[in-house]
Amino acid sequence: MFEKSLYDLIRGIRNHKGNEKEYIQNCLRECRAEIRNQDMDVKATALLKLIYLEMFGHDMSWASFHVLEVMSSAKYHQKRVGYLGAVQSFRPDTEVLMLATNLLKKDLSATQHTIISLPVAALPHIITPSLALSVLADLLPRLSHSNAAIRKKTIVTLYRLALVYPETLRAAWPKIKDRLMDKNEDPSVTAAIVNVVCELGWRRPNDFLPLAPRLFELLVDSGNNWMAIKLIKLFATLTPLEPRLVRKLLPPLTDLIRTTPAMSLLYECINGIIQGGILGDGENFSASEEIATLCVSKLRGMVSATSDPNLKYVALLAFNKIVVTHPSLVAQQEDVILECIDSEDITIRIKALDLVQGMVSSDNLVSIVSRLMRQLKTSSSVLEQQNGSQMADEETDSSDETSAAHRKQKSQDQPPPLPQDYTMDVIGRILYMCSHDNYTSLLDFDWYLDVLTQLIRIAPAPRSKDPTDSFSPVRQTVDISEKIGNEIRNIAVKVKAMRPAAIQAADLIVHRLYRQTAESASSYPVTSGALKPVAYLVGEYADYLSSPNDTLGYLLHITPRIDNPEVLSTCLQSLVKLFAQVAGDDREVWTPERKASMSLLIARVIHVLEPSTSHPYLEVQERAVGFTELLKVTAEAISGQTPSTDETYQDAPLLLTQAIPNLFKGWELNSVALGAQKNVPMPEGLDLDEPIHPNLNSLLAQADSLMLPVQEDDDFAEYYTQKPPATSISSEPAILRLADAPEETHSSYQQAGEESYLDADIIARRKAERMERNRDDPFYIGSGGTSTPIHNILQKENGPELDIDSIPIMKLDLAAVDVDLGAKPRAGERPLSAALSRPKPRQRLVVAADESLGSGLSTPRHYESENNSDSFTKSRAKKLKQSLLQVDSSHLGHLDLDASSQGGNGYDPEQQQREDAEMAKAMKEVQRLRLEMQRANERIQVAQGVPAEGIVVKRKKAKKAKPEGEGGDDGAVKVKKKKKKAAEEGQPSAEAGPATEVKVKKKKPKRIVQLDDDGAGVS
Amino acid sequence: MINAFLVFNGQGQPRLTKFYTQLDTSIQQRLISEIFTLVSNRPRGSCNFLPLPPLLAASGTSQSASEPHNDVPSLVTYRNYATLYFIIISTSTESPLALIDLIQVYVEALDRLFENVCELDLIFNFETLHATLGEMIVGGVVIETNTDKIVAAVKAQGTVAKRPVNEGRSGGLGAGLGMGGNFVWHGR
Repeated sequence: MFEKSLYDLIRGIRNHKGNEKEYIQNCLRECRAEIRNQDMDVKATALLKLIYLEMFGHDMSWASFHVLEVMSSAKYHQKRVGYLGAVQSFRPDTEVLMLATNLLKKDLSATQHTIISLPVAALPHIITPSLALSVLADLLPRLSHSNAAIRKKTIVTLYRLALVYPETLRAAWPKIKDRLMDKNEDPSVTAAIVNVVCELGWRRPNDFLPLAPRLFELLVDSGNNWMAIKLIKLFATLTPLEPRLVRKLLPPLTDLIRTTPAMSLLYECINGIIQGGILGDGENFSASEEIATLCVSKLRGMVSATSDPNLKYVALLAFNKIVVTHPSLVAQQEDVILECIDSEDITIRIKALDLVQGMVSSDNLVSIVSRLMRQLKTSSSVLEQQNGSQMADEETDSSDETSAAHRKQKSQDQPPPLPQDYTMDVIGRILYMCSHDNYTSLLDFDWYLDVLTQLIRIAPAPRSKDPTDSFSPVRQTVDISEKIGNEIRNIAVKVKAMRPAAIQAADLIVHRLYRQTAESASSYPVTSGALKPVAYLVGEYADYLSSPNDTLGYLLHITPRIDNPEVLSTCLQSLVKLFAQVAGDDREVWTPERKASMSLLIARVIHVLEPSTSHPYLEVQERAVGFTELLKVTAEAISGQTPSTDETYQDAPLLLTQAIPNLFKGWELNSVALGAQKNVPMPEGLDLDEPIHPNLNSLLAQADSLMLPVQEDDDFAEYYTQKPPATSISSEPAILRLADAPEETHSSYQQAGEESYLDADIIARRKAERMERNRDDPFYIGSGGTSTPIHNILQKENGPELDIDSIPIMKLDLAAVDVDLGAKPRAGERPLSAALSRPKPRQRLVVAADESLGSGLSTPRHYESENNSDSFTKSRAKKLKQSLLQVDSSHLGHLDLDASSQGGNGYDPEQQQREDAEMAKAMKEVQRLRLEMQRANERIQVAQGVPAEGIVVKRKKAKKAKPEGEGGDDGAVKVKKKKKKAAEEGQPSAEAGPATEVKVKKKKPKRIVQLDDDGAGVS
Repeated sequence: MINAFLVFNGQGQPRLTKFYTQLDTSIQQRLISEIFTLVSNRPRGSCNFLPLPPLLAASGTSQSASEPHNDVPSLVTYRNYATLYFIIISTSTESPLALIDLIQVYVEALDRLFENVCELDLIFNFETLHATLGEMIVGGVVIETNTDKIVAAVKAQGTVAKRPVNEGRSGGLGAGLGMGGNFVWHGR
């Protein structure tokens, strides 16, 4: 016998540093052999080794049957290994579990309490509804076991049983309640019950109200802090149902807050007061006022900078709960909470962000976002550095451990980069804060555009979707940079005054993408989701572009590298729009040069479009085919049109100057509220089932010979060219909310130091714009004079010489004032020309609201539709798939416990007894029949002269071995029986005989196997 | 309730894994490594709570902050003793500060069982680790917080193996887990 023990295995692994993998594979192979060994010691040792290796991720599901074998061992220390194996390795799809039922029942009825503990503790891990049904009868008596440890474990196990099989509670709850009420019960059992009740409590608070007096007693008298915490949590769910409890609870809670030395209890008291709705409850105003200030001041102390980080965290947790009911109380703590955003600790940051998100206003938006931007910026630059060094690492050494340590050491010098998820979370929140409620908090759209441009650069690249990944997070479906791009698009569409700036920003992004693809390896695909909205913008608003020709060139370069079909289809459309903008000028003379350049350009566009004509994604294919054909026709037209010479004047081909541009010129697209489509009223008399024409087929047949009717499309034109009456757009105009906005707020973003979070080129561009814009502004004093950081930089760059341009010139432009006044009243109607030509001092810009019909009737208004849709899919996904690790207790919600727990004895123990008696009678009958049949069978076998030792003898032995032990089968039969009973009440029990007989027969082979193992274990 | 109790060392090698729901081995490993990345990047002096690892955050609990209780694991508490990290994943029905203490109780119990416990003890006696945990938590619910009772119950199950003598402490794991008990929330 030279098998390795667990000790040898571990030492072996430790001694094989470097080639552990190989060593472990060898060990696994040995274990596979050893676990089949008949010697139980060898088997158990092999299992223990497997469990150890399972911890490191080596699957042992194949060994589940051997786990059962070891579980059934008679020796405690082997049994324990078996149960540990079951706990660690059984999964919902482990089939052998069905075979374990008898064993579990047997061990539950063992005499040694150490053995009873094993199944009790293992059951929560492996429980299924049917298993719960079978073991419940054996588990319930353990509630009154003499050993307190068994009792408390049983209570918890019953709770877990109830989660999968709620009926458990009906039988178990009265007994558990008795235990709770028993003042002589072991305190740790009471504490375990309280823990269970706390878990049950929030699901069904009503059922536990009658327990309140006893729970209160425990809270006041027990002196056990652990239990007190749970009790307070429980009371917090009870008080909303029974307001009288508040008055009773306040004195002891206040007392605890003032006296307890345990911080956790203090915190839970405050938390309980908050959650229980005790704060600001009308009845006893002065007292609750007092307690409210007490709580909030304590929490404030916890959050403040000097406090312990754990307290900071839990206080923020508490604030997150208060903010739902008492936002004003939390708003007072804004200063300390904002400090937490910059905490080194990401956990604290996230919690603070949760809070801040709700507190944002036009006054603090810029400063909050600046803080966040600075974090992101520093993190992304650190990340870039590290990526560089990491690559170097990988080259030099291959061992995981050392490189990890190496990296760790390196990262200690500088703050570690933020995790990608956190980065994405923060970006999402920035977008939410700025855009929420249709941009109410946002004053400076220029700044916002700069932030967005910067964010696109920071945004982590979307992770490649892994098809094998079953847990692929849902939120990944929306790429964060696409959301940023969507914001730019929203601004361009909704804020007309900002459109030129937004288009410029979009242009810049396209240019940057172009540079990136041009620099990097040729086949590198473009993955940025921002391209989609941005490409839409440069196409749709091509006339704002400074150089559409260049932009077209960039886009032509990028398009073939896009692998996301949705982005690609948008880009195709934009390409043609841009082409129309570049080529469609009908005033320009049709010179030979123009002809040549057009032919060349059209060839380039077709060259890019053509590969997509066979794209598998239909939308892409359709657009590509359509546009390619159109462009080919145009190309022919171009080559057919002789250029104008000095003598003859020739127009450019109409196809080029009229047809194509007109494809894209029409009504401006406005943003439409989510769900607005549903509000479009059904026109009267519209029957969608009615055929369009009774004789459609013949009509179509005639189509060839059909003459086009004369232009009588007045109605048609009217319908499409006149705007619908304004009354149908009933959503509140944005101006109503903006009109009484505070006076021009020059918030302190300049002091916030934009250069700390915006890239240099963005700032430079911004600066140039600002100078351009402010050149004629009488109120603007050019560089010099003030000494903001920007000016300092400017001065450094420009040199100290006096710049003539920057000398302020007084020039009052009265017309500008007039236009501004006149332009304001109508939402979203600010004349574009005015917006373009006027220098714009920073002002409240008009943000068009989403258009909707009859809002409020059937759909709520969705301003942040982009942001909402994300959380919507999330919640839907949650419904579809439970969270990892989650134990679903929702079944409990449906169980009606009232009958049993609230005094009235709806649950009738007598009836239960009667049923039991009936069942027992039926069982006896079944037994009798089975025995008879068995005997008959034996007689037949004997008569036929078949030696029937093996099976028959063993069976007999088994019967003797466990006289009560038919129990195992009883359980199975019982199930059958119960079902039967439900179906046909009062069936004579004899009739059930044959049916169960079949069942028993089926079970035979399994039983034998098990008996064999028993034998092996003993021998 | 408690959804998982994990122990791993500074290299992310698991020393104890206990999940109170059935979970595929591969996903268990992913979760462990995700938590390890989070925990090993903590700056000095940060709090004992981790943000949710991506696997758990997938179902998004940040949005449902207004919903006070639910079944979704929403809290990851950890404590670091010498070379080891102790992790508890739990739902919001548990008290965060009490969980920090619960880890302390566990380590104290181990310390009593092994006498000046160190990582080597945990490596070679992982069955005892499970037994100790089993006396504190059953099915995700805390059943005992009294160190004496826990230790007594574990000892009742059989003798606790001593550290292998010849193994020594050459592993460079330092002496003990540093049971300083730097802070204790309960006035126990």
